[in-house]
Amino acid sequence: MAENFHNLMMGISVSMQPYNFMIAMIGLVLGVIVGVLPGLGGANGVAILIPLTVAMQPISGIILLASIYWGALYGGSITSILFNIPGEPWSVATTFDGYPMAKQGHAGRALVLSFFSHFVGAVLGVIMLSFFAPVIANFALRFGPAEIFSVMVLTFSAFVGLGGKDPLKTCVSIFLGFILSAVGMDIVTGQLRLTFGSIDLMGGFNFIVAVIGLFGLGEIFLTVEEGLKLDSTAGGKVTFKDMAWGVKELLIEWKSLLLGCVIGCWMGLKPGGATPASFMAYGFAKQGHKKSQEFGHGASAGIIAPEAAAHGAGTSAALPMITLGIPGSPTMAVIMGGLMIFGLLPGPMLFREHADFVWGFIGSCWIGNFIGLVVVLAFAPIFAAVLKIRFAIIMPIIVYVCAVGAYAVNNRMIDIYYMIGFGVVGYLFKKLDYPLAPLVLALVLGDMAESALRQALLISGGNPIVLFQPPIALPIMVAAIIIFFWPTISGIIKKRRMKVGPG
Amino acid sequence: MRKANLGVAIFLFLLGALVMYDSVRLGFRWQPGFGPGAGYLPFYLSLGVLICTGIFIVKQIRQLSKVGIVGDKRLIQEGGLKPILWVLLPSTAMVILTSILGLHFAAFVFLLFYMRAVGKIGWLECSLVSVLFPILMYIVFDRLFLIPLPDGMLGAYIKLPF
Repeated sequence: MAENFHNLMMGISVSMQPYNFMIAMIGLVLGVIVGVLPGLGGANGVAILIPLTVAMQPISGIILLASIYWGALYGGSITSILFNIPGEPWSVATTFDGYPMAKQGHAGRALVLSFFSHFVGAVLGVIMLSFFAPVIANFALRFGPAEIFSVMVLTFSAFVGLGGKDPLKTCVSIFLGFILSAVGMDIVTGQLRLTFGSIDLMGGFNFIVAVIGLFGLGEIFLTVEEGLKLDSTAGGKVTFKDMAWGVKELLIEWKSLLLGCVIGCWMGLKPGGATPASFMAYGFAKQGHKKSQEFGHGASAGIIAPEAAAHGAGTSAALPMITLGIPGSPTMAVIMGGLMIFGLLPGPMLFREHADFVWGFIGSCWIGNFIGLVVVLAFAPIFAAVLKIRFAIIMPIIVYVCAVGAYAVNNRMIDIYYMIGFGVVGYLFKKLDYPLAPLVLALVLGDMAESALRQALLISGGNPIVLFQPPIALPIMVAAIIIFFWPTISGIIKKRRMKVGPG
Repeated sequence: MRKANLGVAIFLFLLGALVMYDSVRLGFRWQPGFGPGAGYLPFYLSLGVLICTGIFIVKQIRQLSKVGIVGDKRLIQEGGLKPILWVLLPSTAMVILTSILGLHFAAFVFLLFYMRAVGKIGWLECSLVSVLFPILMYIVFDRLFLIPLPDGMLGAYIKLPF
């Protein structure tokens, strides 16, 4: 414990170095802008900037990428509250109560509540990251290929069982992601797979391009279809009076705050990400609240719970990424892709071999979230003004920036075409309710999952029982199966209870 | 929406069949003395796609024949297709233009066209944004971070003078 604390201090000092501090500031400002603009989200904001980080030190690079994520988490709620336009999917739940409160003339209060809840959620997430990550990484050192594969099965079964979407569609999404990752040269045999003689397909699909297309262009199509209606309220200036009120309100609504944090951290650990976390927290907070009829009309708890959950999920999503190599949210998946470009493979060995890097990253999570709070509190009206620029100017610029990002990943022209294709797919999938997060995650983890599966099978001589071997893989697999069938199981339990009746 | 659902599912089903065909070609069985063939995982993935979309297609057809398309939401809401095409087509045109003119010049044309034709924004603002923004991107990517962006076929002839 003392050693971890010492490491943490070292990490914080690394991220406080002037250059890294400046990088974090730039990342945060860019992140808030990304968060404010609808159509440009955290995942593809990070994806577009990955090529720029290649020229940096790995630690500075990851600080930039992570800061964009923190900034985007903070920034999404600014426009939700002021304009009723969620800048990010995870801030949709904030519009339910944040916008009504702003309409009543308390825009500053709503912003303060949202930022403070974000900060509390972030702090809890980072505490968990700082003190549990080393423990989990240490445990995961014992993992062989079979165990790694079983953790991945658990990850994806969580999408099916707890994702809340049509299980058939979720499964299709997962399979498609893995299939896309298999296109190109097979790393084990050297054979060309699924290329059908095309040279362009030999290089495979890069998931960063997929993210830019699916989340970037797809989101733009959705936005222009619905048309952007600016419904402006107050300018969003935050005063010290608002801040004092916000602290008091947080203390009164501590239950909702805690609920949001816990749900957020849980959803970040089991890959789901910030978006479902915020909806879930809103629902639970409303259910359990004394004044639940006030929800939807500017209730403080209706802002606090989803915002704390969103940021809690965002930060705790770093935990499985850095310890197991399994990102807890789509944006974390992109950040992990950035790490792989540096030649750093996230997983338990990262703690051993690049301890300074890992602790630098954790330290930057502390610093980044703290500066982020100061930045958004001070400059919220300026960021909100970004949205007053006409969409007809912003939209083509976003498309252009997306194209730059897609090209710069591999310097391949074909990737820009793929990006447009993924954009159309992203739009269709969003409309038809196919979840995109599992597809992206499968595309990221595809190679790793396949080599783990193959190695495990080679060790056992082709016997699939190896995937269920005790002591580690078996309970994980059992948990995966239970979670996969959870909707059915919980349905049966409910029916049983109904049959027995009360008494 | 239901028809679109069915259409996409059928498309994915066919895609799954294609993948299965290729993984059978690659060899999906256990190869003695070597281990699982290259098509091992893709085979089971495509099997999964076929099963899931298969069930889904049967369900959709049943529902369609029972309730038809009454009371169904449209896939693209009324009047929504036009703005989408106004984004999709110029963007595609920009990409095609990129391979001829290079990305920055293609972006200049794209920005100018979109802002002027769709946004109905004044000429001054249009030209300022569409000239300055590509220059900014050029400086950041090509010059500061040394990431060359596509020049296109004419790239050697038209270059920014700095």
